[in-house]
Amino acid sequence: MNTISETRTKSLLYLEDVSVSFDGFKAINSLSLVVEPGELRAIIGPNGAGKTTMMDIITGKTRPDTGKVIFEDTIDLTKKDEADIAQLGIGRKFQKPTVFESHTVWDNLELALNRSRGVFATLFYTLTAEDKARIEEILVTIRMTHRKDEYAANLSHGQKQWLEIGMLLAQEPKLLLVDEPVAGMTDAETAETAVLLREIAKTRSVVVVEHDMGFIRDLGVKVTCLAEGSVLAEGSIDFVSSDPKVIENYLGR
Amino acid sequence: MTFRIFSGAFVAFLLFACAAFAQGTDPKPLFNQLADANFNAAEKLVAEIAATGNPRVVPALNAFSEGDLYFRKSDKAVFAAKAAGSQLELIDPVTGESAGQVAKSAVTKIKVNNNLRRAIRAALGGLTLMSPDRGARLSAADAILRAPSAEALELVEAALVKETDGEVKARMEEARAVSLLSSDRSVDEKRAAIETIAGLGASGLGVLNSVSGTIDPGLKPDLDAAIASIQNEQQLWNLAQNVWYGMSLGSVLLLAAIGLAITFGVMGIINMAHGEMVMLGAYSTFMVQQVIRENAPGLFDWSLAIALPVAFLVTGAVGFVIERGVIRFLYGRPLETLLATWGVSLILQQAIRTIFGPTNQEVGNPSWMSGSFPLGGMTITYNRMWIIVFSLTIFFALLFVMKKTAYGLNMRAVTQNRRMASSMGIRTPWVDALTFALGSGIAGIAGVALSQIDNVSPNLGQSYIIDSFMVVVFGGVGNLWGTLVGALSLGILNKFLEPSVGAVLGKILVLVLIILFIQKRPRGLFALKGRAVEA
Amino acid sequence: MITGFILRALEGKIVIAVGILLAVAIIVPALNLLTPPDSAFHIPTYVMALMGKYLCYALLALALDLVWGYCGILSLGHGAFFALGGYAMGMYLMRQIGSRGVYGNPDLPDFMVFLNWKELPWFWYGLDMFPFAMAMVLIVPGLLAFVFGWFAFRSRVNGVYLSIITQAMTYALMLAFFRNDMGFGGNNGLTDFKDILGFQVQAGGTRAVLFAMSAFMLALCLIVASAITRSKFGKVLVGVRDAESRVRFLGFRVENIKLFTFVVSAMFAGIAGALFVPQVGIINPGEFAPANSIEVVVWTAVGGRGTLIGPIIGAILVNAGKSFFTGAFPEFWLFALGGLFIAVTLFLPKGIVGTIQHGWNARKALKAAADAEKGRDAGAAPTVQQVQAAE
Repeated sequence: MNTISETRTKSLLYLEDVSVSFDGFKAINSLSLVVEPGELRAIIGPNGAGKTTMMDIITGKTRPDTGKVIFEDTIDLTKKDEADIAQLGIGRKFQKPTVFESHTVWDNLELALNRSRGVFATLFYTLTAEDKARIEEILVTIRMTHRKDEYAANLSHGQKQWLEIGMLLAQEPKLLLVDEPVAGMTDAETAETAVLLREIAKTRSVVVVEHDMGFIRDLGVKVTCLAEGSVLAEGSIDFVSSDPKVIENYLGR
Repeated sequence: MTFRIFSGAFVAFLLFACAAFAQGTDPKPLFNQLADANFNAAEKLVAEIAATGNPRVVPALNAFSEGDLYFRKSDKAVFAAKAAGSQLELIDPVTGESAGQVAKSAVTKIKVNNNLRRAIRAALGGLTLMSPDRGARLSAADAILRAPSAEALELVEAALVKETDGEVKARMEEARAVSLLSSDRSVDEKRAAIETIAGLGASGLGVLNSVSGTIDPGLKPDLDAAIASIQNEQQLWNLAQNVWYGMSLGSVLLLAAIGLAITFGVMGIINMAHGEMVMLGAYSTFMVQQVIRENAPGLFDWSLAIALPVAFLVTGAVGFVIERGVIRFLYGRPLETLLATWGVSLILQQAIRTIFGPTNQEVGNPSWMSGSFPLGGMTITYNRMWIIVFSLTIFFALLFVMKKTAYGLNMRAVTQNRRMASSMGIRTPWVDALTFALGSGIAGIAGVALSQIDNVSPNLGQSYIIDSFMVVVFGGVGNLWGTLVGALSLGILNKFLEPSVGAVLGKILVLVLIILFIQKRPRGLFALKGRAVEA
Repeated sequence: MITGFILRALEGKIVIAVGILLAVAIIVPALNLLTPPDSAFHIPTYVMALMGKYLCYALLALALDLVWGYCGILSLGHGAFFALGGYAMGMYLMRQIGSRGVYGNPDLPDFMVFLNWKELPWFWYGLDMFPFAMAMVLIVPGLLAFVFGWFAFRSRVNGVYLSIITQAMTYALMLAFFRNDMGFGGNNGLTDFKDILGFQVQAGGTRAVLFAMSAFMLALCLIVASAITRSKFGKVLVGVRDAESRVRFLGFRVENIKLFTFVVSAMFAGIAGALFVPQVGIINPGEFAPANSIEVVVWTAVGGRGTLIGPIIGAILVNAGKSFFTGAFPEFWLFALGGLFIAVTLFLPKGIVGTIQHGWNARKALKAAADAEKGRDAGAAPTVQQVQAAE
């Protein structure tokens, strides 16, 4: 009991014994996970291991059947919906890049900016110099300043992924959940993304779900391996990838 | 039941003496006394004539009631008479034989008034109880049941002694019990009679209520109990009747929605022209009947059987064309599909209106579809019954096709994962087109059935489209069982709301309830859960 | 803040459209009233009435565009809001008849006397006052939209499900208004209006003013709609249309965004209905028919959804076509309308204005790409397909 409360006092995100099932199929099976402030964590696991469902639970899209999901030691995320959770400071990047294709890169970032999001606040919103500076700063971070007036639909797949990460930055989250950020990227883009994520993780916690082992190795962080809805192994990439259970379940023979 | 048989036997025994007394008197002198009788006396005489129990007096009494009874001025003998040219032909009132023709001036009409007519009718009711014709006896018993009187009591009892036919006897027992209540018989007999009447159901209720003011106070509890038991029974039958009406409406909804369960539920196509497929099916039935009427009227009872494949093929073909011509360009764009198929529905409606005119077409019911039969306290019409049977047959046939055949497997494979199915060698466009044609064809078959109970006009489909969508959405998209349960429960709900709030308001309430229900369970009663579906 | 909001609305095309509408609001009544009937410039009253009707329809289409074109909510029940606005106006007009009805009852409209009603139902109270009636024109449709949207958007009913239940909503209302004991005139609806604000409804001057009001209100609503869609809120709206979950995960309350837009749109529709009724002289439950609401969708689709101007053009074109067809070949109108539904969805998904705009943008993009190529290596010049994917 003592150990648990100790872990809880310094955790940013705390999952304990979380389960959820769809029509009898257990997508998540008593999963426990702790993410510390400022931590960059990689999550791997075979298809159907429950990685995306876990993100759904953290961001309020899916309600767990049982278990605790606590943010910043006190906030019970199972009682909140997506918008609440996003406003609390949890950002999420989808598996398939999801940006507003009929808006320009600039507008995409402007919408994501962490400002009052009420109906009337947005109706009468005007761009301030401060906001403008912030957007330009993010454009530099995601290396898209020269394309700021382009429609998002016209970006390449990799650029959309980056724009989405930029939008998450604009949201100024404390915790960033990133689902397969390098899927469909070239090797050069993948390497650059790893650099970008490490840079981002300097100021906030990031959880990355990824299949690409090379990319995970590039990140060089603590790895959690999920299988059939629960944690199989946790530790450094070398520790995890030498675990016989992980090899059997995921990495293959 | 035992008690009824026992009481019947008891009553028959008790009244044997009376019957013996009435029998054997010659009615002829009684008739002759009519010549001098005033209305009151005539009434008594009629009762006495009837009490002879001689069935041969029936025609003369009928003639009396019609004002065709005369007496000869010369000897005051009474005859029935009918016109024979300018003269009258006299007929002996008992034997029915002709007694020659006389001039009209030779006879005097015996006057009759309404009181007398009523007495004659009652007397006749008693007499026909003894008629050799079984049907006549049965209807005479029914007549007493409807209008019981103390006078009829002895007649019924007399008839009961002779009666051998089980059903007629039972009916007479009931008639006797009903008559007994208004007579001055003993309390015990009346109590037994109340028991008998309680078994009568709705028709007994009127009798019991009518005597409840005048009855012996000692019998009041029995009477009230009997009334309550009838009312209870009636409520049960009302419930059953409502469920039946609801199932009937539900089966209509099921018929209309079942094709949609394929095109919308399984394929995800919003086909607003679905109602028009039903309409085309109904017009196919009309065409088939036209051809049969002109060429082979003897086949008319088979017209629906012939119309079924015709309608299936016609609407299936139209569906095929719509899928290939319009819908296949719009997969993955449900809202556009909705609009385009609405356009198709307008065109189909207008085409039918141009060809057949805007008025209702006459679609006949084959003999086996018309009429009704009673089942306990409710009436079941054949057309509703066959439609329920038919809709369930279609449902299970479709279920079989979907779950047990190779084609059904292909179809489910395509709808679940088009690309995977395609790479497994399934020709997906072909499956799409056939599935849509199947859904349309089933709508056409539904049209054949609905042509029997609805007006066949170009607007036929419009009245079903919203209901059909409601059923599919309520039941849960992609789930055939959901459609069945949805259709039946909506039908029954509708019929249970109707008596208290009226048909229109009932329908509105059902719509509002569904709208609220969809808020709670956006994916219907039997929804699939899971990550993929929720995305 | 508010001025910024309004000023933002006045972008090129909108300014032109508003200008045209204001000009029409002045010129058409002027030509109707001031020129002699045999003049070449004379606009007969029936033509003006017809045009007034089109303008009301255009406003209804604009209302639908706001929810469908920008927010992705395909409402098949907008006719209900239109009709409710119409009924509010119709009730005011009924009360103005006073004792001039057939039965001469100063308080009760004729149909209530006919039904043997003794007193005015509570929901008719106050509607003899013009300002209150006008408030009801906005409040009743707005309230219905609010209650409906509150439930629907909160439980995340969307896509075709939402379309189907909006259709069920207008269908249920139609059935309800057909009932005599609802107190809205049943089958016959409300008609035989005498005057509005003391002016005869049928008089030439009144008709001219009603026409001008229709054009003016359309222009006003166009400005409001433009201001909404060009604000940050409008961008969120498009975001909801294209990637609802992204908007949600950015922390916006999607249900509130939809609800606000739905209510505003319903109010627009209510205004359209209120202007429609005095010009056609009747409102009956037929206006709730689901087919009417779907027809509005095709006007919007023909003109081009998500363009604001397009639906106005679409509504006018389609209805002018309808007037022509039903006059010349009545039996062909439904064929034409049905064909239009199919043709627009298959061949002109962006509608007239959308297609023109798209061609214009593609030309600009190509030019920009050519310029960029001259300057430096621009790896990802937008192709036509990509621009298409954007919309």
